[in-house]
Amino acid sequence: MILKLAWRNIWRNRRRTAVILTAIVIGLWAMVFLSALMRGIADRMVKNAISTMTGHIKIYHAGYRNDPVIENRIENPGEIKNILQSLPAVRQFTSRIRVNAVAANARHSGGVTLVGIHPGREAGISFTGDAVTEGEYLKDEESQGILVGRALLEKYETRIGHKLVLMSRDASGEIASRAFRIRGIYDAELESTERQFVFVNLAAAQEMLGVNGDVTEFSLLIDDYEEAAAVAASVGRRFDGDDLAVYSWKELLPLVVAVLKMYDGFILFWFAAVFIAIAFGLVNTILMAVFERIREFGLMRALGMKPSFVVAEVSAESFFLLFIGTVAGNLLGAASVAALSQRGIDLSAFAKGIEFAGMSRIIFPVLELGDILTADAAVLVLGMAVGLYPAIRAARFSPVEAMVHM
Amino acid sequence: MKKIYRQGEVSVTALDGVDLSIVKGDFMALAGPSGSGKTTLLNMIGGLDSPDGGSILLNGQALEKMKPSQLADMRLHQVGFVFQSYNLIPVLSAVENVEFVMLLQGMPLQERRRKALAILDDVGLAGKYGRRPAELSGGQQQRVAVARAIVGAPAIVLADEPTANLDSASGKDLLKLMQEMNESKKVTFIFSTHDKMVMEYARRLTLIRDGRIVEDRRK
Amino acid sequence: MNFIMAWRNIWRHPRRSILTIAAIVFATMLLVFMLSWQFGAYDTMIDATVKIHTGHIQIQAQGYQDQRDMRKVVPDPNEIERILTSLRGVKSYTFRAEDFSLVSSENRTYGVLVIGIDPQKEPSVSTLEDMIRRGRFLEAGDRRSALAGEILADNLNSPVGGDLVLLGQGRDGSIAATVLTIKGIFNTGQDEFDRTMIHIPLEYFQELYNMRGAVHMAVVLCDSLTAVPAVKERIAGALSGIDSSLAVLDWKELNPGLVQAIQMDLVSGFIFYLILIIVVAFSIMNTFLMAVFERTREFGVMMSMGMGPGRLMGLLLMESLGITLIGVVIGTIAGAAVTWYFQIHGMVIPGAEEVARQFGLPERMFPQLSFLSIAVGAGIVLILTVLSALYPAFKVKGLKPVEALSAV
Repeated sequence: MILKLAWRNIWRNRRRTAVILTAIVIGLWAMVFLSALMRGIADRMVKNAISTMTGHIKIYHAGYRNDPVIENRIENPGEIKNILQSLPAVRQFTSRIRVNAVAANARHSGGVTLVGIHPGREAGISFTGDAVTEGEYLKDEESQGILVGRALLEKYETRIGHKLVLMSRDASGEIASRAFRIRGIYDAELESTERQFVFVNLAAAQEMLGVNGDVTEFSLLIDDYEEAAAVAASVGRRFDGDDLAVYSWKELLPLVVAVLKMYDGFILFWFAAVFIAIAFGLVNTILMAVFERIREFGLMRALGMKPSFVVAEVSAESFFLLFIGTVAGNLLGAASVAALSQRGIDLSAFAKGIEFAGMSRIIFPVLELGDILTADAAVLVLGMAVGLYPAIRAARFSPVEAMVHM
Repeated sequence: MKKIYRQGEVSVTALDGVDLSIVKGDFMALAGPSGSGKTTLLNMIGGLDSPDGGSILLNGQALEKMKPSQLADMRLHQVGFVFQSYNLIPVLSAVENVEFVMLLQGMPLQERRRKALAILDDVGLAGKYGRRPAELSGGQQQRVAVARAIVGAPAIVLADEPTANLDSASGKDLLKLMQEMNESKKVTFIFSTHDKMVMEYARRLTLIRDGRIVEDRRK
Repeated sequence: MNFIMAWRNIWRHPRRSILTIAAIVFATMLLVFMLSWQFGAYDTMIDATVKIHTGHIQIQAQGYQDQRDMRKVVPDPNEIERILTSLRGVKSYTFRAEDFSLVSSENRTYGVLVIGIDPQKEPSVSTLEDMIRRGRFLEAGDRRSALAGEILADNLNSPVGGDLVLLGQGRDGSIAATVLTIKGIFNTGQDEFDRTMIHIPLEYFQELYNMRGAVHMAVVLCDSLTAVPAVKERIAGALSGIDSSLAVLDWKELNPGLVQAIQMDLVSGFIFYLILIIVVAFSIMNTFLMAVFERTREFGVMMSMGMGPGRLMGLLLMESLGITLIGVVIGTIAGAAVTWYFQIHGMVIPGAEEVARQFGLPERMFPQLSFLSIAVGAGIVLILTVLSALYPAFKVKGLKPVEALSAV
């Protein structure tokens, strides 16, 4: 009965109901859509960082992280390989040598990070697999080939097929240098990535640096990157006693984690602001609807209705408004996200700025259930709470007061 | 003149071939049962509504041809209205309500105030200038309404059942007041009513029924 | 009297009006604060970038900015000095030369950017001296001395007083090699600086790399950001007569990433604000609507008195505008007060310290109240609220007296 009354009462003044509904719908749409955009940015940032060879989990020599030099290498990779293959949680893995080096050609010299990879295994784990846009990817038997980023190619004013000399300190402390030929060019999300990483075959790197089959890191992929910390811990336990350290991506990318936290906070703040904006209008609208019907409420009380009935009825009106608005807002939000899921939002106009901020050029909004539920719960629950005020006011109209009023 | 109202499927001919001439200084009662069309006729004369056929001439000007803004202007200078109830603007005091018309006409403050106070005295509300409508009795409110209606020196005052919400004593007082104003200030009054007592006061009585004038006589 | 009527009509329903005003106050406060915050952050970022490294204006060889080629030099710094000292608006200046080289400590080698700086002029242009954490800044007369970034020094396992072997290539292609002593270690908070740079005296750089008296850039500081365009033009003008192979770049061209990042932030901020205020506008529209619909009969009476539809609309708009203005004014004052408080005391955003540091922002941030932030904040709210009030007001325009009178 209460629900029937409440429902009909809402539609008594169509225009007024329409207006407040619009506010709620827009508010909720904004909450859902904009938070999805922000999550999309954050998500992309995480995936990008992970695929730029961080992987989900990494295994290093214990001292490597603070001092990423060839001395701190892993000297028993074969053992580790066997163990990793036996672990079900590990979906894929590969090993690499990674050292600082200087790359030079006739025109230019600069600092780079030299990465020796297993081309086949690497392709499945990091971005390198799809990133080669010109020339060829490295072959497994390759010894002279090197892959460079497009931005680096431009900086060094060179081309495919040309030479690039790499210098680094080898295992005995001497400067080792070796000439490679550029086999392919890769494009990465960030130009800074392109300028930093050069890829050669693992064997070639091992030979150049005078290490026999040793590597500096293992990179692992698991099924759900959110679980990385737990898996890293369990993997770490397997290597107890060895001079190894196992890290999850969160530990390796504190900056990204910090940015994610920042987004969390910002989304909450946004939700709060939108809700407050809606709340004012909601209270006012219900108040107006209630005061219009003073005589009616007085009549109901005179007929013997309990105050709690009135409170319930008015609250039900709030509820309907909030509910319809929330559902519509969610649908609109989901629709907008779906509409953008194909092409995303292209931010190329701000290319340099994006580079600066470490974001990607195209943003795809990502709906996160947690956010949606939070937004919906906040609006419905807090909205009803706020709607109690007019409800209680309505219940206070005594019959006498009411009759005199009009 | 004709006026047809449509309410959903039903069309009601409110006025069917009404032909009426009003002379300056008339104190006329437009009488008829409810639904006879008297309110509609009054609205037509005052330019609040427009006819579906025929024409209305006020001081030589054809009302049916005027635009809303012109009609508003006409009402401002030529016509005064007194309604059955809710005549006054609730947030304004008595004197301010009366001043309002003159404000619209563009009269300066001093003059407005002077005239407003004077006319409130005339209608017997001396000393109640600052009262808001909520603080006045029904009869007093109607008096203010009359004062406001005539202060702008209109050609004609239209009153739609002005005494209907008043008790008989206040009603008589109001009618006497209107009569006085008609005589002293030479303002034409047309008031609609279905009350026989009210009809007594009129010098010209026009009976309307089912949208047609059935009788029109002077006393 | 129109004002009086409008005012009294506003307070006919005090609670309703107060709620509406509160909504507008909230919106305005939020906007003023957030905009002040944003502008404050931008100012700080720009300032940090300019003062740590790039300066307001730089004079370089054409094409040097894009291709850091050792051979693209500014051949005659004395000439440039003559010009700079004669121009109005140049607050301070210095010269630098840079090249990429290898430095090695006892058992570590890294590729770094070696920057030759003028120990006396550099502090007037950048804040490097303030960033020294251990040891001291370079002094006039220093030769084989170097300043190293903290992360680099740690990576090299070299303390103050430690030796670094430098190996590079000179301007003419010859080998540049020497041993440097670390005199000071700096920390700017930005990893890129602290990990990849060392500074040596400019004169020694020129000697070492066979620069033949040339440098790679002149770095100029102006009195303020706003003064920069004018000064840039003057410099360009003075140079065009003398040496047209040189380019004059302002801080925006030197930091395109920063500028665009700021633009992006501004744009995205605006989108958020706009949407929020639209929600507010709809939220309070009902107040304006009710003001019309409850008084339809009253409007009828007023129209019967001769009030034209235009005037009626004007009266209504005055009411709506009244509410809006009260809200915006209070909101602006309150927003400015809150902003002012944090401008003095600063604010730390939990969780954002790490991110801030990387972009050169201090942990404690200070919003910057400005005419712009107030005007834009209040302006957006004002415009959108008035638009929201227009809809009901227009409804009145088409009102027919008869219909109005027959309303309840």
